[in-house]
Amino acid sequence: MAEPNLDQMEKIRDVVAQDLLGGRIELLLGWEKGHYWWQSRPLFAHSKEDLEKLVWDSFCAVNLSRYLLDELKDHQKVGVLVKGCDARAFNRLLQDNMVERDRVVLYGLPCPGMLDYDRLAAAAESAPDGITEQNGRVILKTARGEVEIERDAVLMDKCKDCLYPDPVVYDQLLLEPQGEREAPERFKAVGDLENLPDNERFAYWEKELSRCLRCYACRQACPYCSCRECFVEQENPRWQGRAYQPSENFLFHLVRAYHGAGRCIDCGECERACPVGIPLQELNRKLTKDINELYGHYEAGLDAELEPPLLTYRPDDPAAFSEK
Amino acid sequence: MLKKVITRDKLPALWAHLSEQGPLILPVQDGPVVLFKPWQEGTAVNLDAVNSAVSPKDIFLPREETFLHYRSGNQQLELKAVAEEEPVIAFGLHPCDLKAIEMLDRVFMEQDPPDALYRNRRERTTVVALACSEPDPFCFCNDFGIDPTAAPGADILGHLTDSSLLLEALTDKGKALLEQAGELLEDGSGEQVEKQEIKTADFGLKLEGLPADLKNRFDDPVWDEIYKSCLSCGVCTYVCPTCYCFDVEDFGHAAEGERFRCWDSCMYGHFTVMAGGHNPRPDRKERVRQRFMHKLQYYPEVYDEIACVGCGRCLRSCPVNLDIVQAIKALGGEKVEQR
Repeated sequence: MAEPNLDQMEKIRDVVAQDLLGGRIELLLGWEKGHYWWQSRPLFAHSKEDLEKLVWDSFCAVNLSRYLLDELKDHQKVGVLVKGCDARAFNRLLQDNMVERDRVVLYGLPCPGMLDYDRLAAAAESAPDGITEQNGRVILKTARGEVEIERDAVLMDKCKDCLYPDPVVYDQLLLEPQGEREAPERFKAVGDLENLPDNERFAYWEKELSRCLRCYACRQACPYCSCRECFVEQENPRWQGRAYQPSENFLFHLVRAYHGAGRCIDCGECERACPVGIPLQELNRKLTKDINELYGHYEAGLDAELEPPLLTYRPDDPAAFSEK
Repeated sequence: MLKKVITRDKLPALWAHLSEQGPLILPVQDGPVVLFKPWQEGTAVNLDAVNSAVSPKDIFLPREETFLHYRSGNQQLELKAVAEEEPVIAFGLHPCDLKAIEMLDRVFMEQDPPDALYRNRRERTTVVALACSEPDPFCFCNDFGIDPTAAPGADILGHLTDSSLLLEALTDKGKALLEQAGELLEDGSGEQVEKQEIKTADFGLKLEGLPADLKNRFDDPVWDEIYKSCLSCGVCTYVCPTCYCFDVEDFGHAAEGERFRCWDSCMYGHFTVMAGGHNPRPDRKERVRQRFMHKLQYYPEVYDEIACVGCGRCLRSCPVNLDIVQAIKALGGEKVEQR
């Protein structure tokens, strides 16, 4: 079992219950436990009974902001629990004119980073039976006794290089801020790939993308993929074929990544959703790195007023492609 | 029947030998996941993983399968059927996946006419199953009455220990394969396998009567709740061993190309779009209902068995944990504690 922090839980529940039962919001998007202690899944709470299932623990990885695209069709006002990355995802949707700010109440949850089950199981050397956390350390209950490890060592990939664990936009901050983090390794994998000769880099991506099932989980989980009709499904002209050819795999992933240039908020939901472990963050971060180098440092989703570089025009914009 | 044994250190030699006649498809560590792939020199075989990330249905129903080459010009259309003929060895399938193949067999082979592409692959494949020794936390095959240490339907059943692999022929086809391996395999007639009881996850499911109960619940309001978290991706359908929907498409251009069939998913918005644009399953609710009704009502209505084998892949891979257990519980397929 995973033990949630009861003080935090009570505080969160009190605030959202007041708003939901008092009629300020019609729906609360939160998390509830799945079948396992290491899974927390989306909760769509309408009532007091629903709120009893609400949890906030180290497994609330699912980004809830994306559900606003559907839920705002059926509800006038929706409340959402947002971690740092979820808040930036909300800004992404706001900048893309997919949501209206005044129809959403954001409850900010400063996030310590979510834990990865496979890493926990590897650390425990078997399937752990339960977990407790204390002062930045994780204690796993296993058949062979307790295993203690540092929390940072078992974070999800998407959380390892997080720069903004605290929500950057909210109506109410429910917990104490975590403070800024550093992520010195954020562009390391991209840099390593850039240093490879072209043919080796191509071979690397051909191999990684060969696993792609074209299940589109990366796209469906992504806050920058909010097009009402994706190019993948367009019939006329037909851009994306169904064959599992390298050319088709490259087409999908590269077009998607380019579509996210300067818009990707680096939440890592694409990579978390991928059932075959394709390192999609490396593609997204390559584009982020290029944007930073070409147009100056830009963090997507930090400030909804600050337009992404490729969506604006300035006469002094560099023209790196034509200058070569 | 014939029993042979081989120590683990000699397995690479066995792989090399078995792949001489045709593809040897087995669980391979590919990046962070295990997938069924053809063996090649240097392949990182992983027989110890319980379940591959994607089910081995791919061996019989490939995610893409070319069956026709076409060429046109000078007002002539040239068509050439493509059919592979070499024998295939599918190695290391677990009992739940075999049970799923039995379910696919009914759909593709026990029909008139049978599906020629599927039958072709099925008939030229020798299946070597691998008994489970320890379930992973996602396994729940006990709920479907599957014995994780037996493999009806396989040609050979393998038992893996820390040091060796015991192979027992179950059919003549399996016996022939063991004999063909010659001296690579040692006599295993004296080897005994201790019958092991394997307990998989217990979610307290009550499956009896569920298909009949669902027959008149197409319009049940519970469907308005179940689908809510679905992201409309195709993960569940593509990792699932009993999902078998496909599409047929062309790769190439008007003058020359190939026609193939490939996996399709009822979770996709375009799955049921008709010519003219009408879509009878316009939204996530209808699609999620379709998938779970297919598993729990439509398939059992025809074949008398729920189309799930408890492999746990959707429990592991659904990005929002909207898996089949979630659906079964929401639909009332849960044991209620008796006081």
